[in-house]
Amino acid sequence: MYNTRVRGVLIKGNKSFADVSRDIIKPMDDKTPMWWWVTAFLATGALFWGVWGFYNTISTGIGEWGLNNNVAWGWAIINFVWWIGIGHAGTAFSIFLLILRQKWRTSINRAAEAMTIFAVMAAGLFPLIHMGRIWDGFFIFPYWNTRGPLWDNFNSPLFWDVVAISTYLMASFVFWYMGMIPDFATIRERTASKMKKKIYGILSFGWIGNAKGWLRFETAALLLGGMAAPLVVSVHSIVSMDFSVSVVPGWHTTIFPPYFVIGAIFSGFGMVLTLMIILRKLYKFKDYVTDGHLDAIARILTFISLIMGTAYLTELFMAWYSGNEYELFTFMKNRVTGEYTFAYWTMLTCNALIPQLFWFKKIRKNITIVFIISIFINIGMWFERYVIVVTSLSKDFLPSTWATYEPTITEISIFVGTLGLFLLGVLMFFRFVPTIAISEVKSVLKETTTLKSFTDE
Amino acid sequence: MNNKNIIGIYDDQDVLLNALDELMENGVKIKDVYSPIPLHGVFEKLHLKTRLPYATFIYGAIGTITVFMFLYWTSVVSYPLKFGGKPLNTLSFIIIMFVLTIFVGTFFTFLTYFIREKMYPGKQVELPIPETTNDKFAVIIQRDVTMTEDDVKKVNSLLQKTGAVEIKETE
Repeated sequence: MYNTRVRGVLIKGNKSFADVSRDIIKPMDDKTPMWWWVTAFLATGALFWGVWGFYNTISTGIGEWGLNNNVAWGWAIINFVWWIGIGHAGTAFSIFLLILRQKWRTSINRAAEAMTIFAVMAAGLFPLIHMGRIWDGFFIFPYWNTRGPLWDNFNSPLFWDVVAISTYLMASFVFWYMGMIPDFATIRERTASKMKKKIYGILSFGWIGNAKGWLRFETAALLLGGMAAPLVVSVHSIVSMDFSVSVVPGWHTTIFPPYFVIGAIFSGFGMVLTLMIILRKLYKFKDYVTDGHLDAIARILTFISLIMGTAYLTELFMAWYSGNEYELFTFMKNRVTGEYTFAYWTMLTCNALIPQLFWFKKIRKNITIVFIISIFINIGMWFERYVIVVTSLSKDFLPSTWATYEPTITEISIFVGTLGLFLLGVLMFFRFVPTIAISEVKSVLKETTTLKSFTDE
Repeated sequence: MNNKNIIGIYDDQDVLLNALDELMENGVKIKDVYSPIPLHGVFEKLHLKTRLPYATFIYGAIGTITVFMFLYWTSVVSYPLKFGGKPLNTLSFIIIMFVLTIFVGTFFTFLTYFIREKMYPGKQVELPIPETTNDKFAVIIQRDVTMTEDDVKKVNSLLQKTGAVEIKETE
């Protein structure tokens, strides 16, 4: 039971149900604001540059990238893992907080899930483009072919990856869409515009909100959520196995699956924090996404940051304790010191040290600083993947095969392009979809807010 | 079919739940309740049940078995090919089976929901009280042909007594 005396009022401003619908739908009815057009313009520009990168890679070949025989994985896989990591928060938010019965999730889950969809879409582009011959992409599917039929290697984590990512994308989308149906119906019944009535009428699938409908809806949402929860954990574990089943020093370690899952949730929560601060500012949602909500995310980040720090220290300790000189070299001579010192220490500072500032209430209450720290987390998590991928590959067993790696303009453009794609997706979401789950906020509203007479007792 | 209904409109979830109790104690048959949020009290009081979890379980089980059969057939029967000296029928199948079980379960649960609810994109619906998607709660009581004027009056007064803000009759 939610106790407002202990936990504070969840939704501020003494909202009624009608207020909730009105406030959340209002930005969709308003004229498209200027910032939207400006950002959309920038995002489209970035996307076009990315399209150029794609074209360049496909027309000329993978040689356009800065890869070489030794460092055969570069920005593509770094960005892939980074995006997938960000994509983990949506489901983590929705499912884990649902299971833990955290009521504050209702103001944030919709945006977090939207973020998941666009981040996973951005991530999915990298495995496709890194093949070089993208038109042969369908080879990955076990289809009946004329080569035997020769099937996939089902022992390969790269195949598991394809299965896991596509399942994750589908499951997240289905879960997200399902949650939006009652809200689309709310818009359908409220709007005066004929056009909107028609569009949201189609999107709402004819939702009426009767008792049986709600019962099935809740059961289905719980089932979909329950199935997605183990998926969240397994997807990033599988991504980590892309690395950990190899024999490359720095990758060949059993800590990878939990370390990657935690890292993914960490970066995802970081991105959620960034996004929610922007959203509440632009749409004046401070009553819905209160300082208390941001405080809760900050506390979770502090805890996860501690786990991250522990993981980093464990890696260093194991490098020494295993007695494996290649491991020790990778960690001590190629990460902590050496050529990639900057990347390593940026990672450590941004992920393990800076979020520790959240221990101070003053910092948690200062939204500007919280915002800046959330950006640092995003950067830090990018560097983590950079450190893992590049340092291990550039100097492995034979000094004669050592190589360095620098991204080319094509690789950078593809990354910027996916940023544009993500941003554009988020903008569409901000404009055409209720950014906060209306019916879910309503369903916790009375319990968490209007107990005023109770609190006054 | 007789579609005459008496509709009691409430504007608070707890008032509605108490009203349901009172109505049912007085022998009024509740046809349906429309609300902007899911109300567990309503499910209990109307004795509503869903078999969706069983369906999901069956989908998942079928998914697991089918995926295993496919993996076994491709890797052991159709084209046995050794990778790194590992057995043909390997433990790593579990990972694919696990993920695809979730895939099958999720996808078909989603479909089943819409099939059972008879919902599809573009379905036209006419809500008895459109505000039930916003902030009102509506109790639908069927007005049977056997109901006399007195019965209707009784229902109306009960609705009034239990705090309905508005009472409507539909043809």
